[in-house]
Amino acid sequence: MDMKPIPVPAQGTKLDWHLDQPYRAKHLLLLIAVFALLIFTGHRTEMDKMVVMTGQAVGNIVGLTDDSQVVRGLLRVGESMWPPAIGTEEEVARLTDLDREHLPFLASIETRERVEQHLNTDSLQMEEHREQVELLVKPLGYAWTVFIKMLETIEIALWGTLFSVVLSVPLAWYAARNYSYNRFTYTLARGTISLLRSMPELIVALFLVLAYGFGPIAGVLALGLHAAGFLGKFYAEDIENADKKPQEALEAIGAGKLKTLWYGVMPQVVPQYIAYTLYILDRNVRMATVIGLVGAGGVGQELKGRFDMFQYDHVATILIAIFIVVFLLDQFSARLRAKLI
Amino acid sequence: MIEFQEISKKWPDGTAALSDVSVSIPKGQFCVILGPSGAGKSTLLRAVNGLMQPTGGRVLIDNVELTPVSACSLRRRVAMIHQHFNLTSRMSVAANVLAGLLPVVSTSRAILGWFTPAHRAKACALLERVGLNPKHVHRRAGELSGGQQQRVGVARAFMLDPEVVLADEPVASLDPKISREILKLIRDAARERNATVLCSLHQVDLAREFGDRIVGMRDGKIVFDGTPEEFTEERVEALYHGARWEDAPVVEGDASLDEMTLQLAVA
Repeated sequence: MDMKPIPVPAQGTKLDWHLDQPYRAKHLLLLIAVFALLIFTGHRTEMDKMVVMTGQAVGNIVGLTDDSQVVRGLLRVGESMWPPAIGTEEEVARLTDLDREHLPFLASIETRERVEQHLNTDSLQMEEHREQVELLVKPLGYAWTVFIKMLETIEIALWGTLFSVVLSVPLAWYAARNYSYNRFTYTLARGTISLLRSMPELIVALFLVLAYGFGPIAGVLALGLHAAGFLGKFYAEDIENADKKPQEALEAIGAGKLKTLWYGVMPQVVPQYIAYTLYILDRNVRMATVIGLVGAGGVGQELKGRFDMFQYDHVATILIAIFIVVFLLDQFSARLRAKLI
Repeated sequence: MIEFQEISKKWPDGTAALSDVSVSIPKGQFCVILGPSGAGKSTLLRAVNGLMQPTGGRVLIDNVELTPVSACSLRRRVAMIHQHFNLTSRMSVAANVLAGLLPVVSTSRAILGWFTPAHRAKACALLERVGLNPKHVHRRAGELSGGQQQRVGVARAFMLDPEVVLADEPVASLDPKISREILKLIRDAARERNATVLCSLHQVDLAREFGDRIVGMRDGKIVFDGTPEEFTEERVEALYHGARWEDAPVVEGDASLDEMTLQLAVA
């Protein structure tokens, strides 16, 4: 057996040991450049003005300055928002199919006196005209309306999420470098994902409302398409980064790509997938309220209507409802994650 | 029978992992490959199931050459047991063992996890054979101890009744007692099926105990090939000579210093 010895450094050889300083002049220059850029963009985005106005607002609150635009604006909105609208009142005369014997739940009929100014055509004088009006009062009427709209929003979010998951699973398969068939399918899938992600829901919804008309269809599709881009990207990256060892074991016996993915990758990435999907659901509920603003259904459509009619008390009810739903969803998804992971 | 014909492998950076290795292993033999780290043991094993594409030479299994075309049918006859077990750690023990059947199970059945009763019975029988008990079946593979995980790995490897078993340092991370048990399992299960075993090891004593034959490798070449009786202490010393400084850099006086400088010059 002839074997070459493995080279060993001779004893006494001086080795070059040194540890450099972590910072040099280029780091200082970089810092200055970043600072200059921040000042430039800060001025363009009116950050300086923001600081002045916020300062005034704080000064006004503690009593140093007399007037603040910010405080005035917030107070005006705040006053008109409080108290939030809970009930509804409708004129009985305008309700055609009201059965007085069987009123809706919690509803009652109240009689009020209404004063109206009328122009007397003979005397050309304004005259006060009093009349008794019957009103159908529902003490929880508006809360119920918001509840129904909110339910629709959640349904839109659920279907949008379902849609995005179904769409993103094949996308993720093709967009994972180690499972895509070739460079072309990989590039195509990655391109599709980038395209889907680059289109904001609100703008997609705007166009889909033109195509499908007002209502939840546009909302579901807009949410689904955007989220599919997001999920596709993250699903694919998890496939790429999954532990290679089990995959190698299955590849070694010739299990085939799909079965290897299912047995070697999926069990490892499922907790992350659930986390992403729950985040998307959470995000879709919030976005579903927003895309209603362009007429894509749900509570957002109601919000937009009330906002345009300056009914800020109704807006307040809607905002509270949104907050409650997002909070509950957060709790729910945290529990679900803890259980599944 | 496995036949390596002048297999060589150069990594993209130019290092030669294998250079013109020719060896043939008859059917049913337990062949141990010994050698220091980086000798090319794993690379040689991985040439058998195509996990490594050699840059030269060819591998024949029962006179069928391993090519990208034949790889698919050959791979299901070649099982592999890995150093790091390579189990899907979040999946149940049962599913990991059943995954050994994936090449012969239809995709729809595999995805639904709906294996035939015969297959499920076989998984149970093999799990019993490797010394696990029914309460392990539904545990996650990652929750088991290292020794138990390798038992699952062995069970998975024998699910398809392989003709060749590649064991890539199967006991490198296990204690001596469990190492012996695992190797015994591999040897006995292979004998029952008359399967050829190609097993790379680090422990000389285990190699002597279990190997029908020992192949010593060094720097991508075969430097010893013989029975455990022929693998004497001098041979061991020669095989690992010079490779031990990495683990224990002992320098014995000035004489060895001169020797080393000389070796450096030679190298």
